[in-house]
This record gives sequence, C-alpha cells and structure tokens, in this order.
Amino acid sequence: MLTGKRSLFSNQPGVISKYVLTVLFIGLSNGIVGNVSADAAKGKMLFGQCSGCHQVGPEAKHLFGPILNGVMQREAASAPDYAYSDALKNKLQGGNWSDESMDAFLAAPMSYAPGTKMAFVGVQSEEDRANLINYLRSIDTDGNSSDAATGVLNESEQSSENASNEPPQERRPATEFAVPEHGVLHLGRLALAEEVQAWDIDVRPDGVGLPVGQGSATVGGELYDAVCASCHGDFGEGTGRWPILAGGMDTLTEERPEKTIGSYWPYLSTVYDYVRRAMPFGNARSLSDDDVYAITAYLLYLNDLVDEDFTLSSDNFSSIALPNEQNFIADNRLEEAFRQSSEPCMSNCADEPAVVLQRARVLDVTPEGN
Amino acid sequence: MTDGKKQASLSRRAALKKGLLASGSVGASIATGSLLSSSAQAASHATQSQPEKLITEVQDWNKYLGDGVDARPYGRPSQFEGDAVRRSVAWLTADPKSSVNFTPLHKLDGIITPSGLCFERHHGGIAEISPDDHRFMINGLVDNPLVFTMQDLARFPRENRVYFLECAANSGMEWRGAQLNGCQFTHGMVHNVMYTGVRLSHLLKEAGLKSNAKWLLPEGADPSHMTRSIPMEKALDDCLIATHMNGEALRPEQGYPMRLVVPGWEGNMWVKWLRRIEVGDKPWHQREETSKYTDLLEDGLARRFTWEMEVKSVVTSPSPQAPVNHGRGQLVITGLAWSGLGKIKRVDVSIDGGRNWTTARLDEPSFSKSVHRFYLDINWDGKEMFLQSRAIDELGHVQPTKNQLRAARGLNSIYHNNGIQTWHVRNDGSVENVEIS
Repeated sequence: MLTGKRSLFSNQPGVISKYVLTVLFIGLSNGIVGNVSADAAKGKMLFGQCSGCHQVGPEAKHLFGPILNGVMQREAASAPDYAYSDALKNKLQGGNWSDESMDAFLAAPMSYAPGTKMAFVGVQSEEDRANLINYLRSIDTDGNSSDAATGVLNESEQSSENASNEPPQERRPATEFAVPEHGVLHLGRLALAEEVQAWDIDVRPDGVGLPVGQGSATVGGELYDAVCASCHGDFGEGTGRWPILAGGMDTLTEERPEKTIGSYWPYLSTVYDYVRRAMPFGNARSLSDDDVYAITAYLLYLNDLVDEDFTLSSDNFSSIALPNEQNFIADNRLEEAFRQSSEPCMSNCADEPAVVLQRARVLDVTPEGN
Repeated sequence: MTDGKKQASLSRRAALKKGLLASGSVGASIATGSLLSSSAQAASHATQSQPEKLITEVQDWNKYLGDGVDARPYGRPSQFEGDAVRRSVAWLTADPKSSVNFTPLHKLDGIITPSGLCFERHHGGIAEISPDDHRFMINGLVDNPLVFTMQDLARFPRENRVYFLECAANSGMEWRGAQLNGCQFTHGMVHNVMYTGVRLSHLLKEAGLKSNAKWLLPEGADPSHMTRSIPMEKALDDCLIATHMNGEALRPEQGYPMRLVVPGWEGNMWVKWLRRIEVGDKPWHQREETSKYTDLLEDGLARRFTWEMEVKSVVTSPSPQAPVNHGRGQLVITGLAWSGLGKIKRVDVSIDGGRNWTTARLDEPSFSKSVHRFYLDINWDGKEMFLQSRAIDELGHVQPTKNQLRAARGLNSIYHNNGIQTWHVRNDGSVENVEIS
C-alpha cells in the first residue's frame, strides 16, 4: 500500500521541477546580492541607528526628526507639519536631495548644515552611506518599499531559499573526527585568549574588567552632543520617553521619582559597562574605550558630581561613589506584614458590598482595536 | 492564476449569500456575523421561529473544494482568528526596537502559549542569527574557557520542561489604579511553553568550575548585549539552555538559536540569543539589575535581586476583551494561575468582589513553575459581578490584594505586582477593569 503511494508521488513531474526551481532561485538570489537591491537591504539594517529619530512606512510619524518617506524623491526639507531648522532649509534652497548632497549630509550632518537639528555624529563608512541612500530611495512617498529592494521574501521563496542554503555535505567516516580531551563529555573546544578578550567586556563595581584608558568630561561633552543628546536631551533630561540620565536628586520619595545616574544608580561601573555594550542605540560597540571614559565623565558632570575639567581614568575610577549606593537593600519581600495571615477568608469577608472606586475607561489609555 | 480566479468567485458567492441572508431574515438569529465576532452580543438561541439557513442550505464550505496539501507549508491559524495577536501599548516606550508587546491571554485556553503569540520584549530589536554563525562561550572562573557550536550543544543530554516566563513589569501599569482595559494588557507579559534544552550544569561541568565560582553573567548576542547576574545555586538547580519551544526551534523573537531558561524567575534573566556565560565570584550589578528591575519602596530604599515571580492569577474570560455575549445561565469562568516557587495548590474565585469565595476546578496538567488553568462553571443570574481570582501555591503563599502590596511598597515599585485583579461584569455582559472598595 505505502510503496504504491510512494511510487505514485515520485512519478509526478512536480518533484523534479521543484529541484530545478530551487537551483534557479539560488542563481537569482546570488544575482541580487551583488547589486543595488542587496545594498538597500543592508541600508535597511543600518537604518536601525536612525530609527530613534526617524520613521518610515505607511504609519510613520514625525519623531525628533521628520518622516523620511520618499525623501529622495521629494523636495528637500518638505515633509508636512515638521519644523525644519533654518540651517537645513537654507542649505538646500528648495531643491531635491541628490546622492551627493545626501552623502555629504549623512557623513557629517552638523558640518554640512551647521545649526541642523540632526545632532548626529554622522555615518563614517562611504559604503554604509551609499547603502542607506539606496534604502531611502526604495521607499516611496507613501512609505511603501519594494519587497525586492529590501530583501523581504515571500513565504514560499523563503522556504525554498532556506532549503537551498544547505551546502552539499562531505561525508567522512566518524572515526576520523578528533575528540577533545577537556571536560566530561569532551564537547566544544578551548576558547582562544583573543576570543575571550573580544567578548569579555563586562565591568564590575570593584573595577574588575575596566580597560586601561581615560577620557575627559570636555571630550565627553562633544561626544555626548553628537551621539547621545538626540535621545537623552542636551542636559540628560531625556526627550520623549527616552531615559533621563541626570538630575532628579532627592526625588525618590516623591510622587513621581526621577531615577537618574545621580539620583538612583548605585554604581558608576554600570554606566561604563552599559554605554560600552549597548550605546549609542542602533550603533552599539562603535565607541572606543576612551570615548566611553569621556562620556561617563561627562555624565558625572551633568549630575553635578564632578567639575567640568574632570578626567576619568582606569586609575581614579574606583574612587568615585554614586550618592544612592547605600539605599539598595536585599530582597526582603517575605518579611512584608500582609503575609502574616494564615488561611484566607472564604465567606463574609467584608461587611459592605463592593463599590467601584476607579474605572480603566476613565483614563482611556487602552489601545484601539481589541 | 486559475486558483486566484476561483478564490475571487468563491468570495463573491459568499458575499452575495451573506447579503441575501442578512436581508431575508429579520428577527431570526442569523449567526453569520455574530458568531465570527467575539465582541458582538449574539441573539438568544433559546427559541428559533424559522429554520436556520446555515443548516437548511448547502454552504460554500460544504461544496467547493478547499486548499490541498502544501498550500500552507507552515500552517497558520484560521482566518477567523485574526484578532488573536500580540498587541503593544505605543505610549509605554520610546521605540519599538526597545519595547514590549502582550500575549492575547483572553483568546487562549489550556496552559500552552502558541509560539507566535508569546509576548515579546526586546532591548535592541530581534537578532537574526544563522545557527551556523552562532557561537556560545563559557569563560571566567573555569578550568577551560570553551566555545560551543549549535552542533556541540545538540550532543549534550537534553530534557523537556514546561515553564512560565513572566516579565517583572507585568501588571506594572496598574500600581496606581485601574488603567488598561483587558487582561492582554494588564497580565499579558507572561507566556508558558514547553522547552527542550540542556541543563546548564552539564555545560558548566564541561568547562570545570573553580572553587570560588559563585555567580554567572549570561550575555546576549543582540545589540543590547543583554546581561544579568545569576547566583550559582540557581544555575545548578534548574536552569536550562533551550533550543526548542513547543517542539520546534525557538522563534527569532524568543532568542533563536538559543536562550537561557531560569524557571520561576523574572523574565529578563532568561537571556535570549545567548552567546556567553561568564563565571565569577561576585555579582556584576548590570544596568538591568540596578537602574531597572529594582523595586523602589515608599521610603526611598530599593530592593535589588528580587528574582522570584510570586504567586499570581487572573481571570482571562470573562474579561474586558472577552465579554459575556450569551446572557444569563450557564457561564464558564476561566483563568490562569502561576507561581515562581512551585505548583499551584488552589485557586479561589469570587463574583462579589472578594466578599465570598468558591474554590475553582484546577485543571491538569500541573507542573512546577508553569501556569495552571482553572475553571469555575456557574449559573449566572444575569446581575453585575465583581470577578476576582486568588491563587495559593504549594508553599502556602496566598496571592495578595493590590492594596496590601501598595501598603507594603508604595506606588513606585513598577515591578512584581502580583495583586488580585477585579473585573466588573455588567448586566449586559460587558466587562471593565476596576478597583473596588
């Protein structure tokens, strides 16, 4: 029975044609990779670093920066309802962006148009800029992008591509494989010192893990303005819902506490560690160790914890204590008073019937379309 | 091409038929629309004066052949379940790449969350990593720092476990009072899946722990390089490195190709896209365990390392997104209960705002540190209800009221709100999130 069915299926021409299609698709996708379309796909990934301030797509809104739908097709600085800086409007004089002008702008926004709101240090790599421009060009004024250009494949293309990704495996006798000597099950391999060094970037409050280096608050201020201020604000006050970094001293017992590096964070090492591992948002690991020292020094200055001529280094790092360190305590939830009660009440637990004190609908903050 | 034409003519026929039905039968309970829409109140089925055309007439789906095999190489939910999706609350966060969305608990039953509906919390977007390119490193206080490939990991003994994962901030928007209208938003930062994974202890033994090895720092490969400090005792007790959820490879948004599983403890410790574990002798005090995920109390002190997710429950139906559409009579009240300390022993349900309680039926299966499904089948008199559920875990911890938590911690703790939820069911069956006396 089963054998009969199998021969029926294998007689179908579909089996062979699927194989041919797969081969064709490999050829096709290789063709795309070397061309403009694939660059737009890379540009889409690079756009992550822009998305803190700019949106694209049919639902895009202005954030700190304007909507970029069709930015390469329309008049420059022309998105409706966005207040462009005079600097940018004057620079472009109503013309369209060209590849050259956009490239120059992206390379160093603040040098290209001094006074622009785009307080961003710029994209260093020429190739990255070209890819970003290709991506922006692929998005029309309605915010739709062509699927091919951004590397978005439909479901069947994806599955056939993934299936074809398997390289033909060279089979070898299992006895020819080396077995390592370490461990219990002899799995994995020894990590090389260079590999551990590349990934081991964590820093502890006692200074373990800090790289040798230094940076001044002055240099930190310039870096901060270039790569941090667009989200965290000129003085660490935070724009929109981005985190507040400075101020808020003595607010922890108030109705709306402001939890900043100065008012809340227990350890300076956390600032260094986090900036080094995760910032700037969308361009992680792009800062040098000394850059991170400088930005950390500037954040201390913004919190009035050091003078503006302060230099932070691997030597003086551990001497800096943050004001709120002593106010962190271990988990003592089990000591909470309400836990004393034994078996919970099952009937007649209150004298009066329940009365509504507050309704969710009054606030009306639930998203539409439930 | 021909398929497309057929689809189009089919849907034209369907539309035509629906129109005829709607205009041709006044008063009869035509269920075509109401059955499909969970928000609409269905007409009463108690009596039927005319024969239902859904029964007396041959329907499209009775007659025309549907899709064959392979039309859906990876199957997907019915087109009529389009609103069973994750949703976010845009005003909560600055950017969707560092944000959260919520599991549609009100649409689900049983205890397993479908992989595509598990809430997402990313700190730097979804990392898309080819398993061939993924490397996992163990370094620090070990005899041999090691690097593993996915193939190496697949050669360790593995096991299957069902665990809930709850974000420490689940219900965090409700500290000051009723705010979001739906259990998806008030309680949807939890999911419950079966993991296939390798005991973390196997991997640590392979590297060889030094005698002063007391803490671990797992780290993700995503742009946030997510990190948390985990005490060795927990790591050796029940932590897993998972490669599969619900039988298939992890979803990218859940950490493909591998994530840490830290049963019963707050969700952000379950590092996704796990690329490294460092072994040390002290905690690291990383950003996500100092600036965030610490619990500020009323007196200005803040608790840190509040790892365990305590006993909690919520009624998922009826709830604001799942109102009662059938009138008085038989009603199924159902919900979820869980505890990061073990199994759920009992769930009580109140329909009068906590004045009187009835013990609900706790359904199987019951796993430690997994959600449990409870049911209470009642004969509803059609009068307004204040629905609450109260869970008790096997260690005897009783789910507190929100006011007990507020009295103990103030209003600025953000995290670990496991208080009892109240839903106001009106006499028309609509439901609202409320706070009561």
